[in-house]
Amino acid sequence: MMETEVRDQMMHRLIKVLGRTRVLSSRPDLVPYTKDTYRIRYDEDYKYFPDAVVFPETTAEVAGIVEIAAELKVPLIPKGGGSNRTGMLVPVTGGIVVDTVRMNRIVEVSVPNLYVTVQPGITLKDLEDGLAKHGLALNQEQGSFKIATIGGSISTSGFSRKHQKYGTIADRVMSLEVVLASGKVMRTGPKILYTSTGYRLQQLFVGAEGTLGIITEATLRVEPIPEAKDAILAFYHDFWSANEAALRTMSSCVTFTGGEAYEVEDATSLGAPQGRNGLFYLGFEGTKGEVHAQVEFVRKIVHETGGVLAKHDDAAKFMEKYTSQWCGARALTGFEDALTTYVPVEHMREFFEKLWGEVMPKHGSAPLPGEKYSLDVGRYRIMAGRFYLPKGEGAWEKYQVLLRDIAKLTTRLGGSISSCHGVGIEHKDNLDLEYSEVALDVMRDLKKALDPDNIMNPGKMLPDKK
Amino acid sequence: MDAELVQMAEVAEACSRCRCGCCKDQCPMYSELLEESISPKGRNALIRSVLKGAVEPNERAVRIAYSCLLCRRDEQSCVAGLRNSDATEAFRRYLIEKGAKLLPEHAALAKSLDNYGNPWQESRAARKRWAKGLQNKKVVPGKTSTLFYVGCTFALDRTLDDGPKALASLMDKAGVDYGLLLDDEVCCGSTAKRIGDIKLFEKLRRENEKRIRGTGVENIVTACAGCFKTLEQDYPDLSEDISIMHSTQFISELIANDKLHFPKREVKVTYHDPCHLGRHSDVYDAPRRVLLSVPGLELVEMKNSRQTARCCGGGAGVKTAYPEISQKAAVKRIREAEETGAEILITTCPFCVQTLRGAASAVDSKIKVQELSVFLDSLSHERGGGHR
Repeated sequence: MMETEVRDQMMHRLIKVLGRTRVLSSRPDLVPYTKDTYRIRYDEDYKYFPDAVVFPETTAEVAGIVEIAAELKVPLIPKGGGSNRTGMLVPVTGGIVVDTVRMNRIVEVSVPNLYVTVQPGITLKDLEDGLAKHGLALNQEQGSFKIATIGGSISTSGFSRKHQKYGTIADRVMSLEVVLASGKVMRTGPKILYTSTGYRLQQLFVGAEGTLGIITEATLRVEPIPEAKDAILAFYHDFWSANEAALRTMSSCVTFTGGEAYEVEDATSLGAPQGRNGLFYLGFEGTKGEVHAQVEFVRKIVHETGGVLAKHDDAAKFMEKYTSQWCGARALTGFEDALTTYVPVEHMREFFEKLWGEVMPKHGSAPLPGEKYSLDVGRYRIMAGRFYLPKGEGAWEKYQVLLRDIAKLTTRLGGSISSCHGVGIEHKDNLDLEYSEVALDVMRDLKKALDPDNIMNPGKMLPDKK
Repeated sequence: MDAELVQMAEVAEACSRCRCGCCKDQCPMYSELLEESISPKGRNALIRSVLKGAVEPNERAVRIAYSCLLCRRDEQSCVAGLRNSDATEAFRRYLIEKGAKLLPEHAALAKSLDNYGNPWQESRAARKRWAKGLQNKKVVPGKTSTLFYVGCTFALDRTLDDGPKALASLMDKAGVDYGLLLDDEVCCGSTAKRIGDIKLFEKLRRENEKRIRGTGVENIVTACAGCFKTLEQDYPDLSEDISIMHSTQFISELIANDKLHFPKREVKVTYHDPCHLGRHSDVYDAPRRVLLSVPGLELVEMKNSRQTARCCGGGAGVKTAYPEISQKAAVKRIREAEETGAEILITTCPFCVQTLRGAASAVDSKIKVQELSVFLDSLSHERGGGHR
């Protein structure tokens, strides 16, 4: 709990920097900032309130806020769209939520050099709309596309459904401007895609979850809008037969933007024949000739693996609908969580069999209907699924043991606990399974070097040293 | 708790299981203020925290409750289809029933409604001001079959009273036997309901329903989208006994029955779906059918239309409580209309006309904002005829 004197001083100084309307501190205003979309411990529902939420519009204002926080040793929680799922925005130690959503300008579009420089609070959708006017695209198509911000996407190491052709956000970051915990403003390097000089400081902030500094500007690689786009959707008897097509595609030389193999409860509404609930879809972008050839190539794979192709219009409709939803109607499903594990593909069957056959039942959990199997097709092979949270007495503790057991299974098979949603609070204490103590110590040392007073999003990502 | 409040609690609880924030995309209020509390997700979080006793329903909470246009645009983005707008409307009522005071900006509206039966501080007699020359149209109980329910804003705003005049003229041309309540008409209560003053709404509803039923009419036609929604959805039994139609539906039927037709007019127009007529009442086709019946007319849709139409910014007390944001939302809609290259932006709700016209004038837009009946009636005047 912050002392009244410190709080008063903090408020007075924040208002001096930003004006009264850009500093919120009343409880009705703060309520939505008490949680992101993480399943907070049930009995801690309204435990963590920030002391203030601020809305800077410039780098200088962010620096001003950080200077105040550094002097008063007040925690800072940088925020983007607020859609994070692992608790990285929960103000567990109170402090100031630095909401970057008003830093939403496109600063520069360089058509010849194929980059864009933006403030961090612009949403992915608004940036795509802005770039389209220049014939360019960012292609960072993550589920939370409409509300996620560039700063949030970088800080969470956001995945993209177009990963295969264009990579993920980590591959797009060319240069960053960051306000460090001291209040100093750092430019990580020139606005260029490739250099063989110096440490790649910009990559340090990818997936850092706001624990090292506050991103105030980002220069990102962009691509010309392709001449043609197309999609293929095919139906299989189950996930495993759809996976055959996925494996064939992945081991071929064909280029595609991204895709998925998964299994739903009933695919007939998508135009599937009865009993064909395994889905395989891929997207294609490029020149007309390229796309035509790619589609034909994959159609042949579908044919050879026993798939039934959806009508072209159905595939297009599916892509449009599928990419516009991301929360999975969690409001209706009851308490659930999602896996975004990354397991080497040769271990996928073992992973899913042990996950649903042993780990989940042991803790009284089960998959949501139609959410048991999912694989991102391509180089980034995320294996996803959704499961109900344990119920009854000690449910929270059971949930934590369940997460630990999933992490053990994943890391034993050489994978990563979270390839899409970050670490936050949820996976923090399981990070020791994925990283050696030496690696974790290096991370802790980096954190200490950049943020000696631990004011940047404390209590997130890095596990305490045992 | 009654059904509305139970539903409010359920929406807040369901939203708290998700908290995805998809609702923020395209929310006219959030996109201007960018504060989480001023979003459907934020208000749901506030409702839940108040119900759980974690947050006091203080003055700020009340102001947040009134930061919603009740436009339901967000519900198009909510995968779970949560009725956030109903929850917010119920929350306003809940706060007032728990002793919260109306916002000072709304108190004057409520007082006027209570005293004069309209929100515009005009006398009851002023309600018939627009109807000069139509005094013989006073509804005759037991004889008139169709009541033209005008509504407060059309009747009392001098800049909008060409709307009822035009609709009356169109009905005359089509030979419709209609009647008016003139100064016996009372507010439908929409404003009172939307700002959560349920006692006042019930008082107005009872009075209004008594007068309407006293006429013995079989049909009600209204050109006001707000009155239409309220009479149809918030008067529990009225629509069971009396057919309630929006003017666009009524005109569309007249055209289909060959009672009305229009001369050729080569003009490019765009149509703005009022929230109360579109998302609240699911009436999208009738106004478009009417417009497309005009020979030579080209209807160009805006980037966001029908279910995803942007709100004009004038609804649910926001224009009074948050005038600057209301105008910003309206300007965005004007810009969308301009992008279509249309000469005229046509709509069918007095608040939309009022708000969009204000915004167009503020930004010196060349686009003309016109109410549908006014546009249609002007066609007949230009060339003569227009009826059989």
